[in-house]
Amino acid sequence: MTSAKMAALLPKTILWLFLLVTAFLMIFPVALTLLGSFKTNLEVTTGATIFPKVWQFVNYSTAWKAANFSRFTWNSTFVSAATTIGTLLVTTMAAYAIDRANFIGKRFYVVLQASTLFITIGAVVLRPQFDMMIGLGLQKSLWGVVIILISAHASIFFMLIGFFRGIPRDLDEAAFIDGCNFYSVFWRIVLPLLTPALGVCGLFVFRGAWNEYILPLVFTMTRPELQTLTVGLAGLRYSIGSASETQLMLAGACLSILPMLIVYIFANKSFMQVSAGAVKG
Amino acid sequence: MKKIQPYVFILPSLLLTLALGVYPIAWALRYMFYDYAGYGTATYVGLDNFSRLMRDAEYWNSVKNTFIYAGGKLILTLPLSLVLAVILNKAFRGRQLLRAIYFLPTIISASVMSIVFFIIFNAYNGMANQFLMKYHLISSPINWLGADYAMLTTILIAVWGAVGNYMLLFLAGLQGIPNDLYEAASLDGANASQKLFKITIPMLGPVLQMIVMYAITVALKGYESIMVFTGGGPYGKTDVMYLYVFKQFFPISADTASLQRFGYGSAVGFASAVIVGVVTAAYFYFSRKMDKIY
Repeated sequence: MTSAKMAALLPKTILWLFLLVTAFLMIFPVALTLLGSFKTNLEVTTGATIFPKVWQFVNYSTAWKAANFSRFTWNSTFVSAATTIGTLLVTTMAAYAIDRANFIGKRFYVVLQASTLFITIGAVVLRPQFDMMIGLGLQKSLWGVVIILISAHASIFFMLIGFFRGIPRDLDEAAFIDGCNFYSVFWRIVLPLLTPALGVCGLFVFRGAWNEYILPLVFTMTRPELQTLTVGLAGLRYSIGSASETQLMLAGACLSILPMLIVYIFANKSFMQVSAGAVKG
Repeated sequence: MKKIQPYVFILPSLLLTLALGVYPIAWALRYMFYDYAGYGTATYVGLDNFSRLMRDAEYWNSVKNTFIYAGGKLILTLPLSLVLAVILNKAFRGRQLLRAIYFLPTIISASVMSIVFFIIFNAYNGMANQFLMKYHLISSPINWLGADYAMLTTILIAVWGAVGNYMLLFLAGLQGIPNDLYEAASLDGANASQKLFKITIPMLGPVLQMIVMYAITVALKGYESIMVFTGGGPYGKTDVMYLYVFKQFFPISADTASLQRFGYGSAVGFASAVIVGVVTAAYFYFSRKMDKIY
């Protein structure tokens, strides 16, 4: 090998080393979680091993039954599914009106949505939101959490506006001539054409709701039966004897991570598309 | 009839935004002038909450920590994610897989990963110390969550969770730079770092500015993973201002009692929002000035 070739190879090697070390650092904690969830508690806390000696599938059944993770999983699924459906419904309707109609107050609405994106006073808002849900009698179920999550839909609204612009207006006009009205154009023309965009946005909303921690935490402080996976898992840390149940916490963490991970393996391009679009749009 | 239709379509969204987005802010703007513990009557106290805020050492400590945390997170995250984006913007085998790997942390709940990182970095039986001791890289356990290292560990975890997201945002911005520029630069004999500083960064201009501004606000406002990871401890070393706001309203764990200072908490929330606003505006102003120099 000539020295010129060596000189060309060196930066490439350094580059790949950098990329691979970074990739390793990204995967390693997740891999430790997955592998650790199959170890015994002793192995997790003292073993210093990568792979479990004997795969302890029993961790999952213990977490599922004894540590109440079946309940947490159901609650997370309910919150995420209801929030996704609700958010998509509310935002597509609004985006349709804003993109396809002219009316007084349109500008006000858009500015209002944009400002909710930028102004945050932190956990302060949780208190009046909580009081409002008590007023409506919704603090006894997870509907309160769902409604508040749906109310934070400004980013999805702006994403959808971008997608609406991609649907040609000629189609609406043709449909109007054929006797459709404002409502039927929405249901028959726009929504079917919007399906791929709804899938991508739905993924984004679902991920947000599934991973949400603070809101369900505040709402379920006195109601453990309503806790979601994130809240239930964090609660394990404070519960009695948690120090001796590390393997169960890792199994619980996996129950929260795995559904997202599986979807991500098949749809990672959609995940990345929507996250990039969130700022561009 | 035709006039009503659009209003029907925006009504659900508008009602939700007004009731759960606007009203809570108005609530806070009112109660920050009151002494209100959440029950009983609220008494008007004028600016008392704010004068108390000025003297509240615990709050200013959290403000200081917020800047250390946000500064550390941004200094590590932004260059790293920009470099990754520049590399991954070129076509080569394995690019898609690497992108997917770097982005992976962003799909996982921050709170869940904070629990996992707590298990990993725990000083007594954490996996990090186990491995480091096993390969004799350290002789005694490092107290990752102790007063000396807690902030550093917290920042590293935040970086882990954020790099993929900003890499993707930078990638989206890089797609807007025409390839001819790089070709012309190559012909003129420019090297990789010259291309980065003379073409990529100036051409990213407004996009870079938006991404950095977004990153600043996110870093200043973040508290969820800190709450789970350290709870602000030890001795308030990782207490950040929005976590301090949270603590005024809710107990941080099942076994600590809540202070329930709604009036004062509202004032703290408002002050924190102002601090974030001032920092963002200052960044916007100075990055504009920098633009003009170029």
